[in-house]
Amino acid sequence: MVTNRIHLVLRYVGLSAVLAVMVFPILWMFRVSLMPAGAAVGFGDLFSTGVTLTNFIDLFRQASIGRFLFNSVLVAVVVTVANAFFCFMVAYALARYRGLAGRIMFVTVIVVLMIPAHILIVPLYVLMLKMGMYDTYWALMLPWLVNPIGIFLVKQYLESIPPDMEDAARIDGAGELTILFRIVMPLCKPALAVLAIQVFFTNWNLFLFPYILTSSESLRTLPVALAHFQGHQAIDWQHLMAGSAVAVIPVLIAFGFLQRHIVSGITAGAVKQ
Amino acid sequence: MKFVVFLFLILVAANVTADTTLRWWQFWTDPAIKPTIETIVDEFEQANPGINVELTDLTWANGHEKIVLSLASGTGPDVLELGSDWIAQFAANGHLADISSMIADDSSAFQGWSMADYDDKIYAFPWILGTRVLFANRELLTRAGYDPDFVPVTWDDLKQSAAAVSALGSGVYGWGSNAAEKHRLYKKFLPFFWSAQGQIFSDNGQHCVLASTYAIDALQTYKDLHDSSGYVANQRGIEDAFLEGKVGFVLSGDWLLKRIELEKHKIDLVSTLMPGPTFIGRSFMGGEFLAVTEASEQKEAAMKLIRFVTSPKNQVRFCKANRSANPSSIVAQTDEYFSSNIHLQTFIKQIPMSNHPPVDPDWVFIENIIEEAIEESLFESGGVAEPLRKARGKIAKLKSQ
Amino acid sequence: MKRSRLIGLLLLLPWLITFLVFWFFPLVFSLLAGFTDYSLLSRAGMEWIGWDNYRGLLADEDFHSALKNTFIFVIGSVPVTTVLALLMALLVSRRLPGRSLFRAGFFLPSITSMVVIALIFTNLYQRGGYVATLATMIGFVPPEHGFLYSSSTALYSIMAMDIWMSVGYYMLIFLAGLKAIPIELYEAARIQGASSTRQFFSITLPLLRPVALFIVVINSIKSFQVFVEIFVMTKGKFDTASMVYFIYDVGVTTAFQFGYASAAAYVLFLIVAAFAALQFLLLRRRQPIW
Repeated sequence: MVTNRIHLVLRYVGLSAVLAVMVFPILWMFRVSLMPAGAAVGFGDLFSTGVTLTNFIDLFRQASIGRFLFNSVLVAVVVTVANAFFCFMVAYALARYRGLAGRIMFVTVIVVLMIPAHILIVPLYVLMLKMGMYDTYWALMLPWLVNPIGIFLVKQYLESIPPDMEDAARIDGAGELTILFRIVMPLCKPALAVLAIQVFFTNWNLFLFPYILTSSESLRTLPVALAHFQGHQAIDWQHLMAGSAVAVIPVLIAFGFLQRHIVSGITAGAVKQ
Repeated sequence: MKFVVFLFLILVAANVTADTTLRWWQFWTDPAIKPTIETIVDEFEQANPGINVELTDLTWANGHEKIVLSLASGTGPDVLELGSDWIAQFAANGHLADISSMIADDSSAFQGWSMADYDDKIYAFPWILGTRVLFANRELLTRAGYDPDFVPVTWDDLKQSAAAVSALGSGVYGWGSNAAEKHRLYKKFLPFFWSAQGQIFSDNGQHCVLASTYAIDALQTYKDLHDSSGYVANQRGIEDAFLEGKVGFVLSGDWLLKRIELEKHKIDLVSTLMPGPTFIGRSFMGGEFLAVTEASEQKEAAMKLIRFVTSPKNQVRFCKANRSANPSSIVAQTDEYFSSNIHLQTFIKQIPMSNHPPVDPDWVFIENIIEEAIEESLFESGGVAEPLRKARGKIAKLKSQ
Repeated sequence: MKRSRLIGLLLLLPWLITFLVFWFFPLVFSLLAGFTDYSLLSRAGMEWIGWDNYRGLLADEDFHSALKNTFIFVIGSVPVTTVLALLMALLVSRRLPGRSLFRAGFFLPSITSMVVIALIFTNLYQRGGYVATLATMIGFVPPEHGFLYSSSTALYSIMAMDIWMSVGYYMLIFLAGLKAIPIELYEAARIQGASSTRQFFSITLPLLRPVALFIVVINSIKSFQVFVEIFVMTKGKFDTASMVYFIYDVGVTTAFQFGYASAAAYVLFLIVAAFAALQFLLLRRRQPIW
């Protein structure tokens, strides 16, 4: 009993130490975003300097940050929802139908991942121009609707789930679509939650593609807008960190919302016990 | 129904009047300066009915990718803002219009033409020039035992006072030494190089003479400053440290004044001309230029826009909003705004005592070779002469291809 | 059986369409460009030059050092990240008050933009900065000019940051993988008297294999393409230039030699593909490769 308690304390001490290392730079970011402009950002200054919201107020007053937030949310939500469905469908096909076509498809998935995006962006730019999608919302969303990493993730996850339940349902005469969306998809919830988080934050932070594939101010997403907010040499830490904090908060909310599905999966297992 | 007809009439009318759309790509997007750019564009449109300006913003970090992609795909703008170092490369590849015949009457009213002069043709219009001057933190100098009036005039003054500031210890350094960046370090070294009468190419342009004794002297001085009192970071890191009172001297541009004002830094600032080996030396000059693209079908209208943006009045407005020190217009330079501020005065005085890099389509490569030589001498133990000799060899090889 | 194959193909459609419309042309274009002298700035058009670009890469010292740096980066960071992520997942997978707080905290770095993280760490790594102070406290002499401005520490500092940033994401995937393990297996093992160490090695680890494979492959592919942190922090100086930094520098910003850069991109592709195939072989011994 005593050793158990010592174990628990030790575990908390360990976890807290790791937690401190993991969150310190992010806390530093929030702290600096609340400092008056021009303040020093050394360790001592973190405690001695006052707290102000002016950086955030400046940000919302000087730029159409509402519009940029809207664009970011719109693009990230559409892309995330699309990925949850499409990646699941493709991954299921790849995991369960191991034909030649499936293998070829899986190779294309991996190949797209392995070629550096900085080379692909040049022809993609030309393609977008030719298709008339340059500088539209389509350019921000369509290429990302099916994320190769997502396909791979869900496929790997599906392979660790035995197909017994599907086979049983099939014997009972259930249709393929019913099996797919009613039986298999709920089983994949933890993986789909991870996928959604991954897709959401990748898209949320995407800079180069949206920057190159659009030019209008009204289509800017947050990362692109933040890059424009920087002057020739002149953006101070406080405003930069305030902008970054604005960009982090929605992802945090999305994470809090989605991580419950991973947690709920685990507790469901515990209840079974 | 009436409303639809009305709408239709408006659309038709708009089509009749706005028969020309000029596309202008520019870099000035931060909140301090963007409204001024927009105002200038609005006034241009009012003064020129029938011309519509479509403004597109570029970021400083990734603007060139976008420019090059648009030029490569033939979808470039009509008017393009370009840093002076890029003009030759773009002009040599046929992307910029030769505007020599359209600027004859302006040539004496503006400075900076030589930076846009490639192959005896002018490819861009000077807008805002930029030079570097020496900034010092007076408080640190006084603490290091210097008179409040002291400014370094020679390299020895600079080395000694920087070392004295470094000797104060407790995280204070004498000199901001650039690293971990491109396109910056050479702008810090070349002032020393030019002050020592160094040249990159011989007068006839045939030979690379980067490794002359002058050059070795200059690099040795730069290395001494770095070794004895250097705080190493990228430009922004150096300036952050300077503004926090941790660095005695930095060689910097007018944006530092903008930062001090907008970010409300409290610093006892001294600005002075670039020191030389025995007396005041020479500094680096570059600038932002406006070019008309070769693909533009509205070159006349594009020139109209350029003239409007670079008019003395609009240059002064731009400089006031951006705290820029060096308008290209000579009339604009006489504005009271510049004479009323001692730091801006330093920049105005530095302009005639500054050089610009050769206008060479390969400059971005040459620049890179020079920066690698400086880095080698600062961060590896190879002395200064050998890296310069190697760099000379590389440049000679590049030019012979 | 015929019907289900048809459905399989239908399910593949979303990927088929996006791939053919958006990615097929860029892939083929850059593959072909690798055999030409295509330069983005040149108006002269492009000329077929065969294997010249690939031969040029063989002799290019900058390319060699980019290769070397990239390999150090991958070999150093992928195993460390994987092991740390697994340990963290095990620590927070058991029921424990405050568990979701720890989870969210561990995950926090990986949802922040890499550009912002890199800027923050540039500050933390500087001379006399936080990391240098910590290093001095544990008796380590920090490099004179700060961690990023020395060839002996710069790449490793960036690697450390990268591990710090990505470990939370892989932890989450391990968590999802742990969930997929049927609880009955542990019950059966416990009845047979297997110790928890034994359970870990004979149940947890083998069943995590598909997920671990995913993590190792994805992390390797991503690490082979390390770019943003180098672009923001060191611009490839102090022996930090990676393959993608080289490709980007040569192809899209300084030299605009798109053909040459494309060739380098395909060399990188071959290396990554070989690496991934090896990982598939090693981690999936019992099943066919695809």
